[in-house]
Amino acid sequence: MGLLSIIRKIKRKEKEMRILMVGLDNSGKTTIVLKINGEDTSVISPTLGFNIKTLSYQKYTLNIWDVGGQRTIRSYWRNYFEQTDGLVWVVDSSDLRRLDDCKMELDNLLKEERLSGASLLIFANKQDIKGALTPEEIAKVLNLENMDKTRHWKIVGCSAYTGEGLLEGFDWLVQDIASRIYMLD
Amino acid sequence: MEEESPPPPSDLPSPNPNSPRDPALQKKHQAMLDRLTNRHQSRQKTTSTTTDSTSSFLSTFTDSKRSIESQLTNSPSTTDPTLLKSHLASISSSISSLEKLVAESSYSLPSYELRSSLKSIENLKQSLENLNSQLLPKKKFSFRNKSTNKSNHENSNSIQIPSNPENSNPIPTQIPLSIRDSPGIRNKENQNLTKNFKNFKEIGEFTLSDLDSCEVKLIGCVNALFVNKLRNCRVYTGPVIGSVLIEEVENCVFVLASHQIRIHYAKSCEFYLRVRSRPIIEDCEGAKFAPYCLRYEGIEEDLREAGLEEENENWGYVDDFKWLRAVKSPNWSVLEENERIESVEIEDSGSAEMEVESEGV
Repeated sequence: MGLLSIIRKIKRKEKEMRILMVGLDNSGKTTIVLKINGEDTSVISPTLGFNIKTLSYQKYTLNIWDVGGQRTIRSYWRNYFEQTDGLVWVVDSSDLRRLDDCKMELDNLLKEERLSGASLLIFANKQDIKGALTPEEIAKVLNLENMDKTRHWKIVGCSAYTGEGLLEGFDWLVQDIASRIYMLD
Repeated sequence: MEEESPPPPSDLPSPNPNSPRDPALQKKHQAMLDRLTNRHQSRQKTTSTTTDSTSSFLSTFTDSKRSIESQLTNSPSTTDPTLLKSHLASISSSISSLEKLVAESSYSLPSYELRSSLKSIENLKQSLENLNSQLLPKKKFSFRNKSTNKSNHENSNSIQIPSNPENSNPIPTQIPLSIRDSPGIRNKENQNLTKNFKNFKEIGEFTLSDLDSCEVKLIGCVNALFVNKLRNCRVYTGPVIGSVLIEEVENCVFVLASHQIRIHYAKSCEFYLRVRSRPIIEDCEGAKFAPYCLRYEGIEEDLREAGLEEENENWGYVDDFKWLRAVKSPNWSVLEENERIESVEIEDSGSAEMEVESEGV
């Protein structure tokens, strides 16, 4: 590999962002990724393992790692932490019973040193379902206000089913990462 | 130490001969004198009369012990976790100040009194801990994890059904926000329950939880279905537009149609499914699968509306997250055709829905 090609590669990499999607099973991670990529969301299997989607978003290339949330495979999440720029935590706002599970897993995740620099976007998903908690209520349950002050975070209500809120969330995430990493070049 | 004993009063005014009649200064002097004599007296008292101090310690100790005990028994009858937490914290701090008192007096206390007061403190701490776990239960799934262990085969209490309705929904005490209950059927035994969603637009989610030996029929579409802690039940549901999440079920029969179905901690259950994607199981044993077989008036229309009109045979392709190998998981099997129930026909009886309390629907 010549020097020029290396430089080119580094140059190209600069505009890449690595985004990790995690959350409990049944929260809608895969549906969100497919929806934002404009793909069919009518048949989605629970994720056994992970999916990677690369998509262009504004002037950036997003590498989205969508990792399965079943309990058995949550212990593998840590294999994906390295070099994560943005963390997307997806919450099933209609699953009131497992919110404490959800809080505990998120708290564990945020203790992770390798994720300490990552911007955190919380999607309060399934807002289309009647009876779902609002993003404000989810924020209270997850105790987001008391998060480590150095963390950049935002909670956005969304529906992966209708697509509502997804762009708002990703816009914030990409802007936040860009202002941190690329100093808005 | 001797130099602190009060000097003779007559000596005192002499350093300030300039303003002997200044009332403020005189007052100050008097206060100092009082203080010094008090101190002197109290020192004499503590050193001379240990029996007095023991009895005064005991009375103080008993008083505060009694007040802590009454605090322990009269905890506020609220489920607001912040109130409960502050209540528990105040008990805890009273206990530790009591402990401090014992530690401070330990030098002068007879060993029997010392031991018995330490024992009482130990008891108080234990009851506080009990109260704590009772009022603010720990994370639920430590218990759930246990339920998957093989230790509970026969007469297992892995799926506990609280007889006390106050315990039925522990979430509000765990989370610093009182969560409203979602619509659902909870805490029933030996009942026939029918719910008809036909006349409702926008159903949202529905929950079945803590049911024993019940037959549940849900007619019409819902967006999401949560099933939790069912035993010896039969559950027949119309199409679920979103997903179904099942946890902790035993000896049950489910007839379900949905886009996604996740089954956790199921033991010896039969599932008659129609699913858009592959059903998954995790921590299950003895799960048997067969095709959907429910009939009610208008079900075809509901299935079409939910995008579930096609039989795609996915019911027979189960992914076991606890069995990530090429050979088939031993935790599930296809139900033999001669063992399957015949198609289930349920009546759309409008009156039956009155049996079900349903908040918010």
